[in-house]
Amino acid sequence: MLDLVREVQVGLLAVLLIGGSAAKLWQAYGAGSSGHGTGPTAMFPVRLRRPAATALCATELALGAGLLLTAGSAGAGGPALTVRAATLVLFCTAVGALHELRGHRPDAGCGCFGELSRTPVGWQVMARAALLCGAALAALGAPALRMPRSAGQAWLTLAVAAAELALLAVLSPEVGQLIIRLSHAEPCELREVPVDRTLSVLSSSASWRRYREFLLTAVPADVWREGCWRFVVFPGLLAGRQVEVVFAVYLAGRHGPVRVGVLDTGADLTGPWSGPPQDPLQLSTSV
Amino acid sequence: MAWRPPQSHFKQVRRKMDISASYHHATQPGASAWHGRRALLRATVFGTSDREFWPHRPTVARSVATGVIAQVREDVIVLDGPGGTELFSVSPGTVTWMGARAAPSALRSGDQVIIRHRSLDAATPMRRLAERIWARIGRVAGTIVAAQGREFLVDAGRADGSPQHVVVAATSVRQVQVRFPKLAPGYLLDVIGTRHGGQLLAVVPATAQPPYLAGHAPPPMVNGPLPASISGTAVWHEPGDEPPGLLGLGYPALDPEDGARPADGGTGCVRLPYLSLGAAVRIRNECTNRSAVLPVTSDGALARQFCDRCVECGTSPKGRLADLTMAAFVELGGNLEDGCFNATMTLAG
Repeated sequence: MLDLVREVQVGLLAVLLIGGSAAKLWQAYGAGSSGHGTGPTAMFPVRLRRPAATALCATELALGAGLLLTAGSAGAGGPALTVRAATLVLFCTAVGALHELRGHRPDAGCGCFGELSRTPVGWQVMARAALLCGAALAALGAPALRMPRSAGQAWLTLAVAAAELALLAVLSPEVGQLIIRLSHAEPCELREVPVDRTLSVLSSSASWRRYREFLLTAVPADVWREGCWRFVVFPGLLAGRQVEVVFAVYLAGRHGPVRVGVLDTGADLTGPWSGPPQDPLQLSTSV
Repeated sequence: MAWRPPQSHFKQVRRKMDISASYHHATQPGASAWHGRRALLRATVFGTSDREFWPHRPTVARSVATGVIAQVREDVIVLDGPGGTELFSVSPGTVTWMGARAAPSALRSGDQVIIRHRSLDAATPMRRLAERIWARIGRVAGTIVAAQGREFLVDAGRADGSPQHVVVAATSVRQVQVRFPKLAPGYLLDVIGTRHGGQLLAVVPATAQPPYLAGHAPPPMVNGPLPASISGTAVWHEPGDEPPGLLGLGYPALDPEDGARPADGGTGCVRLPYLSLGAAVRIRNECTNRSAVLPVTSDGALARQFCDRCVECGTSPKGRLADLTMAAFVELGGNLEDGCFNATMTLAG
């Protein structure tokens, strides 16, 4: 029974370490920040926070992968012991770091699972870190993973894993955050949409193809957002007159509608400027 | 001169004769002109006619004046404002606030004031009666970064990162402590008082302290599409680098792509559509039934931290919708010493 519990710890720790690393990477990718302002790295000097956050993320990923690779008989012995000892050191360090963080930065989250871990460090998070420390200790002497000998043993393994996962879930404020996020189908007004994506949608639209030749620059003169619409303004030239071409891009999906308007700014640029050869605008009456 | 568009889609070209006046107005420097220009460009895309467009122009202050007291006479106050010297009559009904209710005679030359006024009669609009006068009023809202006795350093979200110095008046300590029981670093503070140089002498709490640490406002507990009108609370902030008489608001949900400060602790407990500086919103004071279209003139990220209610007239839903400039708050009928009013916001575009 004890061996079975030990075996479960290896897989569980590996999943948690890889999950934590993936969440940090997701935050770095999605928010353009490696989360270096949250978690124990918040106690580092500002210039060291980013490298420390990156190192922590890489370490978790390496240890998680190492635990999985050395779990079977192929990695048994020295390699498995080394990886599991390193994992134990990491979690023991985490307990101390979280304790320090709680004292120095009571407003900071643990950052364990990226931006999901923004809840201030409380007793649950401390207990979870201690539990994982115990799990890493138990995993030290775990035998190499093997297939269960019977259906009963398989069910028992599943039950132990489920019970431990349930306990971890109770101790994890991230679960509540995740449920809230998953239940939110955010309307487009509330979605963060990068300008680059808007410009990409715009450049593939029929409106852009129709008006592109009248634009004087490839760089927008103004970009702003109002709810579900992002407006992009370019200076242009139509029939020898200076205009502003305004595109409104709907921020829902990659094929949202794009509308366009042209504002005559009143400057007559015939002479030094000449309109595009296919300029479709014509003066009906001379000035 | 007239254009003749040969293709149907060129009907979207706004003709010079239609827009010349509005365009030249909109290209004048200043925040309201900036708003006007973006509103005009928006109208260009969506084909809004001028008749529909111009009623959405930002409000011009009609009942607010800001400036420095030049002279106090028995029945008249002389104000040095941005538009020059202005005279306001005072009456026994004029309410003056300078840390507490006071008589207009307590005002001194050099006092920074904001005045809500009305015309004495329609025939002579320049004869104006001061209804309410706030002198040296200030407000600090933000995260406590240091506390010692009655003195606090508060991170109020200034661009340069410098904290604000707040001293709670000895006579107001108990009142502030009742509403702000955790006067410790990491917790939020929002107090109103009088300015004395660089420090604020706090005399009244502007709200009740949220029970959570700064940056941990609870997320909204509803989902689905946004309603057309959003209700909550509207507060005010000191001008800082803005012109004192500016009518506008700090918006709590600026588009992150505008370079707004990242959401510290999420979007706050009220769901607001992302907007950019220069966008227009209609704010309605539910307590006075006054409304105005105001441009977004600053980043109101700090307002996201406060998941509070206003109880000026009934109990508002949780969350701050707008951090109004002082002039806009007073123009909409708010009393600065109250700190907030129950508000409803709709997009004005």
